[in-house]
Amino acid sequence: MPLNIEKVDFTVDEHIWGHRLYDEQLPHLTVLEFLSVLGANRANPLANDRTTDVRYMPQQQIRLRGLLFNNPYVETVRDRGDPDEDKWRDWMELFKKDATGRDDLDMEYLRKSFLTFDDFAKALELLRSSSFEARSNKRWSSKFVFPFGPDALYEDLRIDSGGVSNDRRFFARTGELLYLMLSRASNGRELGKKLVERLFDASVPMNRLVKVLQGEPQHAEATKIIGQRYLPYETHPRFDRMCDDWLAILSRDIPVYDALEHLITSAGLNLLLYFLECAKAHSGDDEPVEMVCEIISRERTKIRSLSGKSYQAHQAVSERAVVSFIESIKLEPEWTVALESSDPEGECLKLMRERFQWPPAGRDDDDDYERLRGDELVRNLVEKAKSRHDQHFGKIHSMWSKSIGLSSRRLARGNRYAPNDRLLKTLVITVVDERMQFDEFLHELRRRYGIVIGDAEGAHLVKQNLVDQEALSENRSNLEARLLGLGLVRRLSDSCSFVENPFASEGKN
Amino acid sequence: MESSIAQDQSPISPPASSWIRFLRSYGPTPNNLNLFDEYVAGALSRAKVQPITLTSPHMEAMQQRAASGALGSILIAGTAGDGKTYHCRSLWMSLGGAMKVWSAPDSIKTLDLADGRRAVFVKDLSELSDEQSDAVLDLLERSVLGEENTKFVVIATNHGQILERLRDLGIRQHRVHPLRKPIQEAFLLSGGLHERLALYDLSRTAHRQSLEEVISAVAEHPEWENCQRCALQNEGRICPIFENRNRLMGSINGVRFSDRLGDLVETSRLNGWHLPVRDLLALVSNIILGHPDAKEDLMSCSEVGRIQSAGTVEKGRLYDNVFGANLPRRRAMDRSVFKAFSTFGIGEETSNGSDGLLVYGADDAKLSEAFKKLVGSDQVYGATATYIAAQQHYLEGDEAARIDGGQENFLSHLAAQRRRLFFTLPENEPDYHYWDMTAFRYAGDYLELAEALFERKAVSETIRARLVRGLNRVMTGLLLENSDRIFVASSGGFTQSRISVLCDTQTTARRQGGLGMAIKLDPQTDRPALDIILGHAPGSGAQFTLSPVRFEFLCRVAEGALPGSFSNECLEDLLAFKAKLLRKAERLRSLLTADDDEEGSAEEGALTLNFIEIEKDGHGFTRPSTIRIV
Repeated sequence: MPLNIEKVDFTVDEHIWGHRLYDEQLPHLTVLEFLSVLGANRANPLANDRTTDVRYMPQQQIRLRGLLFNNPYVETVRDRGDPDEDKWRDWMELFKKDATGRDDLDMEYLRKSFLTFDDFAKALELLRSSSFEARSNKRWSSKFVFPFGPDALYEDLRIDSGGVSNDRRFFARTGELLYLMLSRASNGRELGKKLVERLFDASVPMNRLVKVLQGEPQHAEATKIIGQRYLPYETHPRFDRMCDDWLAILSRDIPVYDALEHLITSAGLNLLLYFLECAKAHSGDDEPVEMVCEIISRERTKIRSLSGKSYQAHQAVSERAVVSFIESIKLEPEWTVALESSDPEGECLKLMRERFQWPPAGRDDDDDYERLRGDELVRNLVEKAKSRHDQHFGKIHSMWSKSIGLSSRRLARGNRYAPNDRLLKTLVITVVDERMQFDEFLHELRRRYGIVIGDAEGAHLVKQNLVDQEALSENRSNLEARLLGLGLVRRLSDSCSFVENPFASEGKN
Repeated sequence: MESSIAQDQSPISPPASSWIRFLRSYGPTPNNLNLFDEYVAGALSRAKVQPITLTSPHMEAMQQRAASGALGSILIAGTAGDGKTYHCRSLWMSLGGAMKVWSAPDSIKTLDLADGRRAVFVKDLSELSDEQSDAVLDLLERSVLGEENTKFVVIATNHGQILERLRDLGIRQHRVHPLRKPIQEAFLLSGGLHERLALYDLSRTAHRQSLEEVISAVAEHPEWENCQRCALQNEGRICPIFENRNRLMGSINGVRFSDRLGDLVETSRLNGWHLPVRDLLALVSNIILGHPDAKEDLMSCSEVGRIQSAGTVEKGRLYDNVFGANLPRRRAMDRSVFKAFSTFGIGEETSNGSDGLLVYGADDAKLSEAFKKLVGSDQVYGATATYIAAQQHYLEGDEAARIDGGQENFLSHLAAQRRRLFFTLPENEPDYHYWDMTAFRYAGDYLELAEALFERKAVSETIRARLVRGLNRVMTGLLLENSDRIFVASSGGFTQSRISVLCDTQTTARRQGGLGMAIKLDPQTDRPALDIILGHAPGSGAQFTLSPVRFEFLCRVAEGALPGSFSNECLEDLLAFKAKLLRKAERLRSLLTADDDEEGSAEEGALTLNFIEIEKDGHGFTRPSTIRIV
């Protein structure tokens, strides 16, 4: 299964998860990159055509992002008591100093749209207040306006004196992979249509505002290609799960901008599970992924150490997958043939190269791989792969689970699974159509996401004496109390409660 | 108990002692067996008193249905303590079943009726094994949905149990059990049931009425006559048991005490608490008998003499007993009634005025008249010698009274006096309002609102204005004073953001021409609800049901509290409501722009953003910011 990816030293993780998942591309950045791809394929969204690579030419919207995130002068100019005319003039001078020179030197067009400078300042303030990470210390070219509509989307860039380039710092193809995944889900086309309908309406006020600031869209110079081969699985239950979750969220009676928040969290959770599931499968573990979650309450719970162990086990699983994926080559019949051939070193090297795109061909390296034995090659690659894995792939579990509110260090020394309110809310909105008995809800969380909270779901843990039943049922009650506090549970009596989706479905009332 | 009688000064038991002992067994003792139907009969024959009888609104209907020969089965649902077994047993007896058979240990009993049908009784579904329950549920299904006309079941169950069993059965049979959803919807009051299935949901009775009935059944019980000739309450002696019972009956301030108690029960119910009859009985028993120094914190006649000699009669005040203050906290919190009442914070909550009265009232010339009237007039539980002494000690005493916990004694007196004031302050006392003694300052307004709606009277303008102000403040995150219109505001992005300065749409605070806000009674929950309609297209409205706590939240926010500081739950509920309204606005807008498109005006022209701004007096208004689209 040759993968052939340019600019990659070797392909290991890429075989297991695809090219590529990236720790620093947090779920919201993944969804933003995904939307960029979707926006460029609006005519035929999430089409599943394995014979054609997906292409897109992302928007760059240099003017818009400059106005929002590389423009610290607006407030100061606005607060001066100067006449409007002077404010505009002063501000334009200041803005020009930091401009990139990519069609952002002449901002006169703004004056035709905004009656006063104050109106202009106010509009910027509004957009900044809803943007992602507006106040973080990230470089300005990696800050994003809320995806109000087609004109608000643009790619992550590095912008400096050398010009504009993709350094794949925050858009590292995870969103591209997400696009492939959803397009391969059974209900992908339906989802594509819905997303375009709801998120790409150019006529909504906020998108029109963004468009006024940006003017005509600015695109990247080259088309980007997402190779179908970058995602190793033709189908995967997780793709279907994620797609159906998204469809469920979009069917709820909420403003689409609120739905987006849940889509992001849902994407994060399902991608994380995809990451763990592939890792387990490649390390020869057939058990489904299981995450024991502590529901934090005022009193210390006995679930904490168990959820910590569950977390720690998952921290290690991806590296194990990498090692066993590489070593599995030694079990292939071809390997035996190679070893028994007249040139075992050469034949093994050939096999390695086919499989892992390594060792590099025709390079004058310090290491002389040609002379190494097969098992030495394997050991060599394992070391290299482990150290590369540690840098990014290996951090995915901790980074993403923290980012979606699944893991936490609150009240404890180490990390463990302890979902926060936001995640719980997303789960209810995704899983519950209208209302669901509390126990059924717990059962569903287990079935869909491997989340273990109550005693029924954790019965096998009790059997193995890992935890006592009382602790799990207390955990269960803590969840009930938490959901009650979030307005998501209705208690019928002490014996019976229902999880209710406050936004049941369209068309009620 | 025998030994304590022996220790008592009088060799003969006081005349009402066996009745009190019987009543005591209804109280919140660690093992109040009388509260289980199974034990009542035995206890009665031992005490040789008439039983405490309560009517049940369901009983007659249930018996009629069973006797009428109507086809299908009967479900008796309720929470622990609602009287499921009692109802089930009564039905059994009324159909001619023998008591002896009933008392036998087996959980399933059959009865052949005169009309030839056979009734299968299950007195508690949770006691059945899986096989038994499968058989019973199968019969239930056949008698309700199928052709089974000769047999039917009567099942007593709690809500969760039957739904769980049906779900489990469905899963094992690889189908969705056809009865589960209808029963669930019927429990939630949002659906009707099949005519061949009669549901009697005991947890759905009106609480205030049940309380009144329990009070009269207990306080007017004929056995109290015996107290008249009891030495413990003659010749100036005060028997706390008799005193409490008389106050409960209205010997002081008439019905004020039971009315306020009813308000607590009613407010709790509307806040979602279910108080089973068993709890109400325990409550009334505790009100009369509670005393922290008594055995198991409930007095019996034999202990009264000792309490009198010790001078601690006042520690048995019914005002404390209402909240289980006589009980160890843990035991009190085991009962939903005390748990529900604890949410009112009565005893901890107070106003400056009433605390001033309780602390300085005896000495301050300006307060002394009010003190005399509201505290001093009650020599038994009000201005008692120990209270006055503690007060003096606190005000004038040595330093130790104020530091190192020295003030604890007085503070506990203060808490008791606050509880007393809640029950005794007159309705229209200008400076001291009894709801101010609780965490629900606006509960009075809430009950008034609910009543006005129930009686189809106009809603008070003050209440409406306050609700609107609270709503606007949550919607926008701005300190608005507007009470005539409602701003549906967003921040552009997520609804959750605290400050929303962009007005999506606005509507009037009262219904006009089919639009705007109306305050209605939600027939399903009996609660007032805010009903906001934004447009004429169908599906352009959303409803927000007001429980007392949500009402309190909106009122407090209207009066300046920060939304996050009062109740996260309420804030979440309101943000969900806001999101719904924003969704309605979003849909209306898309309908409108669809129209605009036909006129070719959407793309070109102008875009108007309505920013909400505030005038100096707090009045919000929208300032349109028009942006030309070139």
